[in-house]
Amino acid sequence: MPVVDVDPDELRRLTGHEEKGDEELKTDLFALGLEYEGETEDGEMQLEFGPDRLDRLSVEGVARSLRYQYGDDRGVYVPSTNDPDWTIEVDETVPPERPYVTGAVVRGLDLDEAALDSLIQLQEKLHATMGRERAKGAIGIHDLTMLKGRALSDDAPAGPAHTITYRGVDPEGDRFVPLDAGAELTPAAVLSDHPTGERYADLVRDLDRYPAIYDEIGLFSFPPVINGRRTEVSTESRDLLIELTGTDQWTIDRMCTVICYALDARGGTVESVAVEYADGAEPPAAGASLRRPDLSVETKHVGHDRIESVLGIALDEATVVDLFERSGLDATAEDGRYEVSIPPYRVDVLHPLDLIDDVGRAYGFNDLDPRYPDVATVGERHEGSRLESAVRTQLVGLGFEDLLNFHMTNETDCLDRMRVEAGSAVLGGGPPVEIVEPYSEDYTILRTWALPSLLTVLENNTHRSYPQDLAEIGLTARRDDDDPTGVGEARHVAAVLARPDASYEDAKARLAALCEDVGAALATPPVEHPSFIDGRAAAVEVDGERAGVIGEIHPAVLVEHDLELPVAAFEFDVDALR
Amino acid sequence: MRLPESQVAVLEALSATDERTVAAVAEETGLKPETVTGAAFDLRDEGLVAVSETERVDHHLTAEGERYRSEGLPEVRLYRAAAEGEGDETAIGDAADAAGLDGQTVEIALSNFARKGYGAVDAGAVDPDPDAAPDADPEAAALDAVATEGAADAPTLDRLVERGLVARDESTVRSLTLTDDGVTALMEGVETAETVDRLTPDLLTSGEWRDVEFGAYDVEADAPAVEGGRVHILRQTAERVKEVLVGMGFEEMEGPHADAEFWINDCLFMPQDHPARTHWDQFALDVPPADDLPADLVERVASAHREGVGEDGDGYHSPWTEAVAREVDLRGHTTSLSMRHLSGHAVGELEPPQRFFSVEKVYRNDTLDPTHLLEFFQIEGWVMAENLSARDLMGTFEEFYRQFGIEDLEFKPHYNPYTEPSFELFGRHPETGDLIEIGNSGLFRDEVLRPLGVDCDVMAWGLALERLLMLIYGFDDIRDVHGTLCDLDLLRETEVLY
Repeated sequence: MPVVDVDPDELRRLTGHEEKGDEELKTDLFALGLEYEGETEDGEMQLEFGPDRLDRLSVEGVARSLRYQYGDDRGVYVPSTNDPDWTIEVDETVPPERPYVTGAVVRGLDLDEAALDSLIQLQEKLHATMGRERAKGAIGIHDLTMLKGRALSDDAPAGPAHTITYRGVDPEGDRFVPLDAGAELTPAAVLSDHPTGERYADLVRDLDRYPAIYDEIGLFSFPPVINGRRTEVSTESRDLLIELTGTDQWTIDRMCTVICYALDARGGTVESVAVEYADGAEPPAAGASLRRPDLSVETKHVGHDRIESVLGIALDEATVVDLFERSGLDATAEDGRYEVSIPPYRVDVLHPLDLIDDVGRAYGFNDLDPRYPDVATVGERHEGSRLESAVRTQLVGLGFEDLLNFHMTNETDCLDRMRVEAGSAVLGGGPPVEIVEPYSEDYTILRTWALPSLLTVLENNTHRSYPQDLAEIGLTARRDDDDPTGVGEARHVAAVLARPDASYEDAKARLAALCEDVGAALATPPVEHPSFIDGRAAAVEVDGERAGVIGEIHPAVLVEHDLELPVAAFEFDVDALR
Repeated sequence: MRLPESQVAVLEALSATDERTVAAVAEETGLKPETVTGAAFDLRDEGLVAVSETERVDHHLTAEGERYRSEGLPEVRLYRAAAEGEGDETAIGDAADAAGLDGQTVEIALSNFARKGYGAVDAGAVDPDPDAAPDADPEAAALDAVATEGAADAPTLDRLVERGLVARDESTVRSLTLTDDGVTALMEGVETAETVDRLTPDLLTSGEWRDVEFGAYDVEADAPAVEGGRVHILRQTAERVKEVLVGMGFEEMEGPHADAEFWINDCLFMPQDHPARTHWDQFALDVPPADDLPADLVERVASAHREGVGEDGDGYHSPWTEAVAREVDLRGHTTSLSMRHLSGHAVGELEPPQRFFSVEKVYRNDTLDPTHLLEFFQIEGWVMAENLSARDLMGTFEEFYRQFGIEDLEFKPHYNPYTEPSFELFGRHPETGDLIEIGNSGLFRDEVLRPLGVDCDVMAWGLALERLLMLIYGFDDIRDVHGTLCDLDLLRETEVLY
């Protein structure tokens, strides 16, 4: 879940509530769904929240939400925008894998270090969330005064005076000086030689042409990897160009909106940008002519009944409208339903239910009176779970300590150390189900049988007193192409008797008692199994069905597990007892 | 009167007028002293013998004391060696070598040399005082006295005990005399009863048990430890949760651990590019894609993702493909079972009202640490009914958590892709009183329910069983309990709760 660092003083200033103490702020934030996680070295609050309200990824957005909560602001707010002075032209050469661009200009800013840090944090957090680590959307912010827009020819129709171009560039093509670098590099060199380039190289490496943005001077941005140093933003910057590229127009437009709202809260004036897609650009954008940022207000309809039903309380219309307005929405009531206006930074509203949630939050969910639902149903355990529980009770009665081990393991523990070959036709032979790209070598397969887990517990507890009579009922799995999931799952009973005089007979006596307890007929015809001593191993046949194996563990397996006493063991499919 | 053999022997060895110690009686009867003591106490309890106790202190030389007695005290040897040297002073090393002292003994010699005023020790040299009289050293004399007589004058003895040259034993000496009843009993005649160790089948069937005396055990002594069988504490907790939920009218669900992403994520309206759906968060399995997804349901779920649900519903601006939905993963939550049930594909079409639950394993690619495991148990529960509200949800959870001593729930508005409204549940720790997260809950979204064919409301919640266990038992490292690193002693010693 996203965590945003917020300077409490800055938050107090932006909300206009200098009087709020830290504790009071924390309580108010908790009510918004922002949980205080701790503080940074610089004394900033670390706030964790659900990844829905991405407009709260910066102190400006958190302050806006608090102002609504305090009732200082009401209803939808949309920043006014000036007419465009800049155009982003989208060239046909733009890589088809990253076809979309959007942007905005914000003028008249006076950012101090804190405000700049907040902007950078917002950019990073948007990358991490909506931007899917820049794959879906990446943001570049530039000092506008460092850009030289190509002026349109005199006979062009009236409109924006400056143009920049989003286009494709040959990886070994034009050079530029990226941020935090001292020399000109080609885009390909950025990927191999620059730390930021290395980090995001996977996003563009396989493209024929890399995405790039040019002004009249040349390449100044290499999205989604890095900006050029020429247009680097500092506290001296007054006017900013924000550009976003990505794989989805809606997503980058919304990310752009969130940034515009934050900069508007810092006193900036938003200015539109014209986005002109070439006729030969990727469909569906080809030939499109857009005005950005898109700050249009959407509407959705919510029934009064549904609000009352979801919250479980009766409300009058005026109260509901008031609660909508306190959530930063506008609503008009008509015929038992509300037409609700939703500001463009609300990327989370997909359905009228999301608006009901807003009403509930504004009302205060914790102020609702809990009630036990007047719904009668009959409770019941699943048959499989009853069987497992009954078998466990019998095992414990026979003196076994019940254990619980992981279902994920590795071939070494599960097969090699048990002398079992993967794919062989013995219990535990699998074939094992492998985990794709495991990132721990301890957990690479699902266990094919459960005895190796118990042997490992014995190995880890040789310093504890004996006898160690252990049992487990748990999942095992093997590749099974006849199963719709390709995984054959079975619940096995496994048991070991580790004691100086453990013998086949001890294990069989307990297995026989267990079978008798549930009225199952047991037979133990001889069998060979590499984990057991030859001549002291048998198949477990329950009601005529082959279900497992029983015997004395082979000395080679014992020594492998650092055990200095004999172990008798059995394992079988618990469903055989059904 | 019939008495056990040992008691008869002791009784006969005693007199009414002369006190006899246990040691003396033991010597006379040939019994072990502890047997005599045991018999004496039994006889005292019968009123036949009086026992008087005096405290006795004995001294004897320790191994070090014995050595110094034969070789001489180190400080005395040091004095003599130094006195034989030329001039006033002798270097410590030379003197020690001459005295045959080494290591620790040199330190001992020096400190006692100084304490007894045998001379000065300064700047690495010893300067013996010619007036000192080490030949008349009282501690050396006391060592002899202890060895021969077991006694010496008190202050010197204390000093030697402090130096570790003499050991002091304190013991209780018990002296025995016959009481008047004892004398009477002896005069009337005492017979020996046969004492047996074990009650045998023979004794029982022959009736001989009537004529024997059973040897007394030290019933207060510790017995060898017996571990016995026990249900794993996490299983105990799971059973308790199941019991509570069945009592609240919930029916149990079962289903596959390895399942298509469709059931795990897509039905839950988790966009396919959701960060939690990457390889880093879930375990993908190297098996062919699932081939049994219901086509009509797949279509409805795909439509919910792309277009949304309802007249004002929006879809995600994320790609959606059936190929991703068919990938097989280990389930990251048991909500996959809820989806299978709600869709009618697990136990047939369900009509409201319904309550279902499961307490089953889930798998998350998390970092293994004291509170996080790669696999853990999730408690999952849901209620299907007409017109369920946030209040019903809160009421249900209050009831559930109250069973585990957790009261005063707080509901933090929260975000899940699959529920709206959603709440994180917080409760007071029963021991510490801290506010802690105890679950995640909400009403399933229309985008989840409508494609499944459910037209009423469903509220659901989830909670890690391990979290509940740690709360109840106060464990701080879950790895001690769950998995092959478990400590058998911890499992053996954990109190059974009910």
